[in-house]
Amino acid sequence: MTAEAAIHEHFEEHVHPGASVYVTVAAFLVVLTAMEITVFYVSALASVMIPLLIILSVAKFALVAMFYMHLRYDSYVLTSIFMFALAIAALLLIALLLLFAYLSHYLWFMVPLARILLPGH
Amino acid sequence: MAAQPKPIPAEYPSYLKGDPIGWLNTIDHKRVAVLYGVSALLFMVLGGIEALLIRIQLFEPNNKFLSAHAYNQVFTMHGTTMIFLVVMPLLLGAAANFIVPLQIGARDVAFPRINALSFWIFLSGAAFLHMGWFWHHGGLPDAGWFGYANLTERQYTPGMAIDFWDIGLLILGISTVLTGLNFFTTIVTMRAPGMTYMRMPMFVWSILITSILILLAFPPLTVGLIFLFMDRFFGTHYYQAVAGATPILWQHLFWLFGHPEVYIMALPAFGMISELLPTFSRKPLFGYPMMVYSVILIAFLSYGVWGHHMFATGMGPVADATFAITSMLIAIPTGIKIFSWIATVWGGSLRMTTAFYFALGFIIEFTIGGLSGIMHASVPIDLQQTDSYFVVAHFHYVLFGGVMFAILGSFYYWWPKVTGRMLNEKLGKLQFWLTVIGFNGTFFPMHFLGTWGMPRRIYTYGAGMGWTFWNQFETVSAFILGLAFLIMFINLLTSLFNGEIAPADPWDGRTLEWSMPSPPPAFNFVTIPEVHARDAFWARKYGSTGSRASQAPAVAGDPPNTEAAEHIHMPEPSFFPIVLAGGLLLCGLGMVVAWWRLIMAGGAIIFLSIIGMAFQYPTFGQKTHETEAASGGGGEDLRKVGVWAFIGSESVFFATLIATFMVYKSRNLGGPGANVLEIPLTSFSTFILLMSSLLMVLALAATQRGDRVWQRVWLCGTVIFGLIFLGDQAYEFTSLYGHGLGFTTDLFSQCFFTLVGFHGAHVAIGVIWLSVLLVASFMDRLPKSRALSVELAGLYWHFVDIVWVVIFTLVYLMQKVKGA
Repeated sequence: MTAEAAIHEHFEEHVHPGASVYVTVAAFLVVLTAMEITVFYVSALASVMIPLLIILSVAKFALVAMFYMHLRYDSYVLTSIFMFALAIAALLLIALLLLFAYLSHYLWFMVPLARILLPGH
Repeated sequence: MAAQPKPIPAEYPSYLKGDPIGWLNTIDHKRVAVLYGVSALLFMVLGGIEALLIRIQLFEPNNKFLSAHAYNQVFTMHGTTMIFLVVMPLLLGAAANFIVPLQIGARDVAFPRINALSFWIFLSGAAFLHMGWFWHHGGLPDAGWFGYANLTERQYTPGMAIDFWDIGLLILGISTVLTGLNFFTTIVTMRAPGMTYMRMPMFVWSILITSILILLAFPPLTVGLIFLFMDRFFGTHYYQAVAGATPILWQHLFWLFGHPEVYIMALPAFGMISELLPTFSRKPLFGYPMMVYSVILIAFLSYGVWGHHMFATGMGPVADATFAITSMLIAIPTGIKIFSWIATVWGGSLRMTTAFYFALGFIIEFTIGGLSGIMHASVPIDLQQTDSYFVVAHFHYVLFGGVMFAILGSFYYWWPKVTGRMLNEKLGKLQFWLTVIGFNGTFFPMHFLGTWGMPRRIYTYGAGMGWTFWNQFETVSAFILGLAFLIMFINLLTSLFNGEIAPADPWDGRTLEWSMPSPPPAFNFVTIPEVHARDAFWARKYGSTGSRASQAPAVAGDPPNTEAAEHIHMPEPSFFPIVLAGGLLLCGLGMVVAWWRLIMAGGAIIFLSIIGMAFQYPTFGQKTHETEAASGGGGEDLRKVGVWAFIGSESVFFATLIATFMVYKSRNLGGPGANVLEIPLTSFSTFILLMSSLLMVLALAATQRGDRVWQRVWLCGTVIFGLIFLGDQAYEFTSLYGHGLGFTTDLFSQCFFTLVGFHGAHVAIGVIWLSVLLVASFMDRLPKSRALSVELAGLYWHFVDIVWVVIFTLVYLMQKVKGA
């Protein structure tokens, strides 16, 4: 098999969706954004605003990555590259937030261990 | 003994032959590697002289040889030079560049032009770091290679020296990230048929993991340097406690890069040693799978240990304990590697060459450095040792005893392949013993001095401190070390002009680079080899069982085949990389001297060079070496893998910006804060950007159908929507200024404008990219066969979209949530 034929075959294997799927995803994205804005303005939802906004944001993120960036259809190698980088990025963000403010409150389970490792600290 | 190589026919000269001008526009990975190697050796001389100046100054108490200011400059530039201009370019730019494509059976790296660009940008950055010498208000940087805030702020370090350091490191960072991107893509997509991941040479594994480290560790440094740039040029206060910020942020960002950076230097060295020991022990590498898993684990853990550089900052017991545990954990995979190296040598049929001497020396010296490193994982001990000479001893045992020993061993190992000449073994062994004596004499007593309380970075000390003898001993030893390097340079030069001609396989090697002539022809392999075993060339020579009697040895030298070689298409040389790097240099210089015309000129050169390089890409209907390799390797198109790896790196970049925003958003609100953000406007912008993504995929679908009319319509729509988004952002910024929220109003505003502004800059780059595609479409140069070009631009565009999804939620909709 020639190189060009191999590549052609490779692209044939990863068929991308048609316009109807793209438009449907766009509709979902619009609805999710509308929901986000609703959550922001409705004061009754203030107590659950953070988890709701995070869920909605993750849903939008995933839709774009899976359908528009074709991760759902392309090789797992590409998904692995992105997901690993995303995991490191998320860990970095969480670690910095914890280090600057929340460490002593949310990592309470580490305190006994810290006492053993750092007697008198 | 392996069979002798056949001579290379005259019509296939080595890569070294050719027009001298060809070195300026070369994109051959081997020539680029040589350029890196020569540059790094010159900087090694410079860094070595700086080291000797330090030692002369500390030779006696109250010495006046250097002033305090000059001493600060010398030790700052010694560290910066050795790390960024010597060790990294030697490991990655020179060794990996030359060896990796040969070991995986490829004709070049994935992106040869970008490879050349990396080198020229590296040289620009290196020149930039030293430009202060030639400036009236310049001078060399003097705040340490770590550049701790807020020492680097303008009121504490006026003048241009830190500006040169800051922008110089930003330029060098671009070069390194491009290199990491290139090696990652090369190894993932361009391996020879049959070379599965678990058949890759250990050096290739180490470079693959190092590339991932580079892509994910450099963004925090880039962000930290950008913040410093803004503080010094635009009056922001990212690191100033008086404005409610904290200098500790710099330490976090720097060490988030800095500790993985240790492994960016150490892992390639581990890979080198894993090549040298099996070859000279004539045994396979002991515990190959565990060695692979150890490299992966070390790299992963290296992201979670940066805090051990900061125990003295008072992070609190929980954070200290967390970083202490992760730092201790990293000793486990490192220990596995050391035991595997020892087991590789054990019972082997040893060949006592200079390269092997250095490899054995590495194991001993690196282990000493590793053991003192574990001490620093213990918080109470670290608090005693930090900022003392004990730390200087530790990291020199790791970086010199470890990394430099591996580099020196590799010089003797791969020099014959690179130059076609052997190095003198007698001189080599003399160099080895002088290095061992000089190195240990210089750095081992630093353990004592540190324990006795001698602080690092002091330019002199009192006579009554009891430190004089060992300082004098160290200085004498340092000159012995200098002598060792002098012998090395003599050996290198005499080898070039008068060295014994090297055979193709002088060490009875195990990996594919030894199968080709020394030095190799420009195209490396006439026929891409098929790999059937882990030590591919050894198996070809002696059979997969490793028994020499089992099969007639293969002929080293891979004699070129005229008919096959005629069909090899190598990409054309290009001057765009050197021109682009020159533009970057002008741009940086313009920033330092605040001369906008220079910045514009540099920017124009960069822009035109990028366009020029893009249109040089040899995919317009002709078969290229890249596409051949893409089908033979991992099955993925290398450009797609490259773009995804870039997106991964960008994810960490934006995560760092977002984290800083979250940390600072509620601190010291001098202005109106988030209350003036306009949700209706940004909701509209969000809608526009999401819909632009829809138009983008429709453009891709039209291209894949070969429908040029709708391709142009959708592309045009995407560009227009992108411009509307940018227009909205410009209106928003103007409106915010009207409400009293300026760039430097408070911490919230500076973080907000930086984060949202960088996103806007990415949108602008996307608009330019898509506009170029649109022009190509109208010129009928965007047919169905080039749908991938649209897909790649689309990937970038969608990434910008999902970053906005996150920003819209965290910055705009969660505006009432208190910051960290």
